[in-house]
Amino acid sequence: MRRIARCLSACLLACAATATLDPTIASAKPRKKPVVEAPAALPAGTLEKLQSGDEASIKSALDDVRTAGKSAAGAAPTIADVLGRGLTADLTVAAIDTLGDLESEAASPALASYAVHRSPPVRQAAVKALARTKGPAAVAALRHALSDDDPMVRGIAATGLGALKAKEAVRDLFVALDHKVGEAAASIGQLCSPAECDELAGKLGKLPFDVVTGGLDQVLFRPTSEVDDDQKVKIVGRVRELGTQEANKFLRDVQKRWPATWSPRVKQAIDQGVLATSGVSQ
Amino acid sequence: MKGVALLGAAAALALSACGGGYTSITLFTTDWTDDGGKSIDNIRKKLANAHPPPGTDVAVAVAGNSDKLIGQPLGGGAKWTFAHPLSARPVIAGTVVVGSGGGELFALDAATGRRLWSRPTGGLKVRGAGDDGTVTVISLSGSTEVGSTLLAVARDGAVVRQIETDRSLGAPAVLGGFAFVPWNNVYVSAIDLLNGDEAARVVLREKTSRAWTEQRELYFGEIGIFRWDDHIKDAPKNQASHVALPVRELPGSPKLMEPGTDNPGAAAEAPDRIRIYARPTPGEEGALGIEGGRFYATYFKIAMGFEATKGTLTWVHTHGSDLIGGAAGAGGVLLCDEQGHLTALDAKTGGVTADVDLGEPVKGCVVQVDAWTPGGAPAAALPLADQLSTALLNREAQLATAKRLLLRELASLKDEVATKTLVALASDERTSPLLLPDARQALADRRNGERFMREALEHHYDYLKDELRSPPVGPIAQALAVIGDTSAADLLASHLLDTSDSDDDVKHAAEALVKLASADETPVLLQFFSMYRASAPSEDIETAVVSVAQALVKVGGAEGQARVLAAMHDPMTLPNVRERLQSLVIVAPVEPPAAAADGGAPAPAAAKPKK
Repeated sequence: MRRIARCLSACLLACAATATLDPTIASAKPRKKPVVEAPAALPAGTLEKLQSGDEASIKSALDDVRTAGKSAAGAAPTIADVLGRGLTADLTVAAIDTLGDLESEAASPALASYAVHRSPPVRQAAVKALARTKGPAAVAALRHALSDDDPMVRGIAATGLGALKAKEAVRDLFVALDHKVGEAAASIGQLCSPAECDELAGKLGKLPFDVVTGGLDQVLFRPTSEVDDDQKVKIVGRVRELGTQEANKFLRDVQKRWPATWSPRVKQAIDQGVLATSGVSQ
Repeated sequence: MKGVALLGAAAALALSACGGGYTSITLFTTDWTDDGGKSIDNIRKKLANAHPPPGTDVAVAVAGNSDKLIGQPLGGGAKWTFAHPLSARPVIAGTVVVGSGGGELFALDAATGRRLWSRPTGGLKVRGAGDDGTVTVISLSGSTEVGSTLLAVARDGAVVRQIETDRSLGAPAVLGGFAFVPWNNVYVSAIDLLNGDEAARVVLREKTSRAWTEQRELYFGEIGIFRWDDHIKDAPKNQASHVALPVRELPGSPKLMEPGTDNPGAAAEAPDRIRIYARPTPGEEGALGIEGGRFYATYFKIAMGFEATKGTLTWVHTHGSDLIGGAAGAGGVLLCDEQGHLTALDAKTGGVTADVDLGEPVKGCVVQVDAWTPGGAPAAALPLADQLSTALLNREAQLATAKRLLLRELASLKDEVATKTLVALASDERTSPLLLPDARQALADRRNGERFMREALEHHYDYLKDELRSPPVGPIAQALAVIGDTSAADLLASHLLDTSDSDDDVKHAAEALVKLASADETPVLLQFFSMYRASAPSEDIETAVVSVAQALVKVGGAEGQARVLAAMHDPMTLPNVRERLQSLVIVAPVEPPAAAADGGAPAPAAAKPKK
């Protein structure tokens, strides 16, 4: 049985017999939540200010939290709660950025809800923050954001999935890469299995060189426990086969950065690749 | 006094050199007193038993580089061709085809393409022609920019009569030795070809520039059709036998007939693609009507059939190429397309009854249907709603004007296919901007086909899946709200959080949810309300926030109420939103959950639009 009646003022007369304004509800002011003790790193009263409903106080409190940094992570649930109830446009972005700084997974669900905000800058901020707060909610939101209509949101989401080590998102990232989300390449490079790394290398010649090598670079510098030497030598060979000036430039760059203590076999392949592609003209 | 001029131009001299008598200079004078139909009645009585001979059923196309005629007899004769430069549209008159070009006027046997005669003209162009089996009367453009030449030529090529005038003469007809010549938009003069005298004249109370024969009767007209019968004497009193088509909107506003004073070029132009076809009921007895109770209109690739008294659309045929000529006949219409196909369409259904290939693309086409009827039953035709759907979903941008009309026709049908088509049109990024607002409005007005609407709502913008256009959420929401389809509430709610939907669409989705939402939608409603109550980026979203608040109060339980109440008192809530929230009347639930007691329930779990 419906116990709640709702009328617009236009139908107030018609509804008058049954729908009466309940004074106890209509005049009810939200009661203050029990105050949670502020994290030690924060000035006293910061959490109260966050919950005050006063724009200036909230702004000031958010500034205090950001200043305190990750040590104020205990404030994340309160900020997430305040954000979840709705803030002005400026405070919304400030709260999202602050939650990102706190890197608390507890904030991910609240941030995820803002990853579908109508304002692209708000979505960009939310997606960026999610890459730092981590957790399943963050991964799900970033995968969803790969399909966003804003290219910046897509790019940030692709990068974020790499940062979150979201291996389950590699297929999505390949689709994104094929849809010109260049940032997906680097993330694929961070996450790919041997077969997927081969697939990425197979994009050489099909997608812009810089985009693909942005991902291959990540593969080459992953620890051997994740990508073995055979795989790396193979990738160096794929680049070398291009025989282009840009391939040479890429390999030289990798050669310069190759740690002295890392695999001599891969180093040798890189050196040979540099030699083989030297002197080529574009 | 205006009238017949002396021959002066080289072309005229060339014509006159071959003989023919001169006419009275009283011809075509406007210094004439209406005789109340007396003179024309005399001629009518004189020709009481005279009927035009049957015309040849034939299609004649201009092909090549406007230097070739292709004739296709409809009754089964062999196709013929005739090579000749053409400067004007050929005219089929009775059993002859009259053409002009290369400084020459010529006549061909319409059934075989055999040249009957030719004469030099000095560049005059054919406007119209009539033929009674022995004499062909032709009106040509004058030797100067204004005026006309009227020529009567016997089968052997001898000029029986030649008249030059500064009047603009329309398309003539011949019957019983008299040329019937429309002129000055209201007159038809009967000229005795024996002596060139104007034997009679009738004034018609409607613009008239054409005289023609078909099905053994003589007619005059342009806007409507007058029949040559015993009532012709009453024409000055506007009581001649007359029929006109019902006034109705047609794409491109075509006329029943183009003015007979025009000089159409050899190749078809836009007016040839935007045409009306109809013909009068046969015989001279009884009230004059439109044969078969149908008339037809074309608009580039679209042909339409209409009921002839009220103008109701009965069928639509979407063709593969532009329709550039044709003629109405018994049981349907025969149309000619620029790919060189002749297609006969059934009067009642629009089903194809015949298709003939002329063998090559054509530039222009004229058709005469006298007695011919297509054999065989028409191909099965789809219901009107499906025919409209096919026409509307055609990608041809050029058809936008016709599609607007067809869309209105579709919107008036109760068939669910109409809803399906409107959803498709409103969802397709290729739909013309001219058509889109109409399609959205028509969709909003639909009262059936909910399943097609729900199917559309299941789609969201998805960059990775190449779904780059959102469905028409707003119109669908409006329709579903009126229909009361609560099963669509979750789909509508999912669109509240679709950032690719327009603000207007979101506004309508929110409005619909006031009526359709259930408690299941509360998480999404809460998320939307919270996100935008203090930061709505537009007026539409502000309105949506208020609607969502209404829905929350209705179905959101204590938590929903509490959130709305808190927002009413929160100075961060946008002023417009706060003010409108005050108008909501909220009654407390009997058992308020504890979560509502603090005026702020926990933030809802994030909801995302469905993909």
